[in-house]
Amino acid sequence: MRGANPLQSRGLLFVFSLAGGLLLAFILIPLLRMYTTQTPASLMRVAGTADVMSAIWLSLEAAFITALLAGVLGIPLAYILSRMSFPGKRVVEALVDLPLTVPHTVVGIALLYVFGRTGIIGAPIDKLTGLKFWGTTGGIVVAMLFVSVPYTVNSARIGFEGVDSRLEKVARTLGAGPWGVFGRVTFPLALRGVLTGLMLTYARAISEFGAVIILSYYPMTAPVKIYDLFLQTGLRESTAMAVLFLTIALILFIILRQLARGIGYQKDRDS
Amino acid sequence: MSVPALILDRVSLHLGAFALHGISFSIEMGQVFVILGPSGAGKSVLLETIAGFNRPDSGRIFIGGRDVTHASPETRRIGFMFQDYALFPHLTVERNIGFGLRGRQSNSGGKGNSRMSALLGRLGLEKISRRKPTNLSGGEKQRVALARALASEPELFLFDEPLSALDVNTKDRLRNDLKTLLRDLGIATIYVTHDQTEALILADRMAVIRDGALLQVGDPAEIFNAPADEFVARFVGVENIIDGRVVSKHDGISEIELENGRILVAADNGAARSSHVSACIRPEDVTLTSDPPAESGGARNHFSARIVNIEARGPVLKIHLDCGFHLSAYLTRQSFLELGITKGEKIYAGVKAMAVHLIERP
Repeated sequence: MRGANPLQSRGLLFVFSLAGGLLLAFILIPLLRMYTTQTPASLMRVAGTADVMSAIWLSLEAAFITALLAGVLGIPLAYILSRMSFPGKRVVEALVDLPLTVPHTVVGIALLYVFGRTGIIGAPIDKLTGLKFWGTTGGIVVAMLFVSVPYTVNSARIGFEGVDSRLEKVARTLGAGPWGVFGRVTFPLALRGVLTGLMLTYARAISEFGAVIILSYYPMTAPVKIYDLFLQTGLRESTAMAVLFLTIALILFIILRQLARGIGYQKDRDS
Repeated sequence: MSVPALILDRVSLHLGAFALHGISFSIEMGQVFVILGPSGAGKSVLLETIAGFNRPDSGRIFIGGRDVTHASPETRRIGFMFQDYALFPHLTVERNIGFGLRGRQSNSGGKGNSRMSALLGRLGLEKISRRKPTNLSGGEKQRVALARALASEPELFLFDEPLSALDVNTKDRLRNDLKTLLRDLGIATIYVTHDQTEALILADRMAVIRDGALLQVGDPAEIFNAPADEFVARFVGVENIIDGRVVSKHDGISEIELENGRILVAADNGAARSSHVSACIRPEDVTLTSDPPAESGGARNHFSARIVNIEARGPVLKIHLDCGFHLSAYLTRQSFLELGITKGEKIYAGVKAMAVHLIERP
């Protein structure tokens, strides 16, 4: 369609495409360059190392638990933020986004004071249940959750905001109670937004390093193990694991995206 | 007489910018009650209060004799129809209707299935039962929404301007379909709209609302012919409202002195006690002739007029006249061509004394 679209100008289109292309190259080249250092054999060798594989598995597992917790804790808040206005709402919104702005090593230190051996939550929970948050998967999950939960809240909120509140009202008049309306109308219609948020949270959790390494150096997650290999054995060994981890993570996300495509209601897809 | 389907008893509410002030009316079983008013008058707030989404500050609401003032929406047995009908976009036609069936817990298992096919059949939806709402026409959406509401066995339908976003032709068609369906179903209905035509076509009884208060409640004919005040008059299409004073009353005819002229009114046409009045004349009740009329019947007004302006209004033309006061008249295209009038020309306007209605001036 011809119109006022500035991209119809060749000069503007050229300059903008050039800038966009540079950006894409900036993202792709370092990752591709890393792949050129490896052979299938070197990857197989590192994949055969038990502690490398257990670190990768731990990352995937802890990030999965993190995404579940983010869903349980984040979806209700997302719904409240999408439907209610209340005094201090802007403060709540700022709090939700706060983890995105705090340096992750700072997050790790802050969490240590709360979930550490003598922390105000860590110590009593340890005493009552024996569950520890330092040097355990629990600690890893706590660190991952702190830095990645904003993605679930914000994305689910956008999903809920897209649900016409008249549909919820109609559902009430049809005999559904508040829980029924949420479960049968609101949540299914917002599901795509929720899933997108959970996936972003999962991705962010897998890649977390700074907060995790301070709260739980051991057991090692993949990013920590890569750093450890870099310190102990140098660039070559750590590169092999980095490429392996990246490959597994990419394949996993491609699969998850494909699965998510088939789930949930999407406005323009009914035909 | 049976229990009214709905009674509102002095319902008042303040909700942000909106308020309802002591709303009282009742609806008999099977009746269609239209609430007519401009946007922002509180029509939707009133419907949502009846549905239970807003709690009134005071007053009581009864549905089928049950006091539902403090009941939650899901227990009120109401079928709510929003603009465009708000079908669940993620569910097929069948599952939309099933939502209502499941909502009423009395319907379960095989009984639910037979109710489903009965509903699909009754509203002619068998062929589209597996479609999603996005692929339905306006008429189909309307029938699906009705079927979905019927599934939950409502005692009262509430329509919140369901047709207001549609083009004129579709609107006409859906309104006629709806009228037939509502007659067949026999479920008491409140229908709010800002469209006086819709009110005339659908209403058994009606009310005019403004700023959260009902100005007049009555039969459509009563409200259209004898509006209670100037706002109601203007809203139901009375375009000529002329201030005057009652100077005499005899032989069943009142004589009103205007600033510039006189007008005769059948004496029982409103405002009996006041001498300060406004004369209401619908533009379609003004007849135009090019020759001066023979002075025969006394119960008829004749004004010598000059044509100030001619305005095209779709199927009719609106003629603005200066009779010493402003008067507007509607002419069909055919009459307009036969009269062969132009702007600035002299003409004669006639209005029957029966067609003038008086309202009191404060």
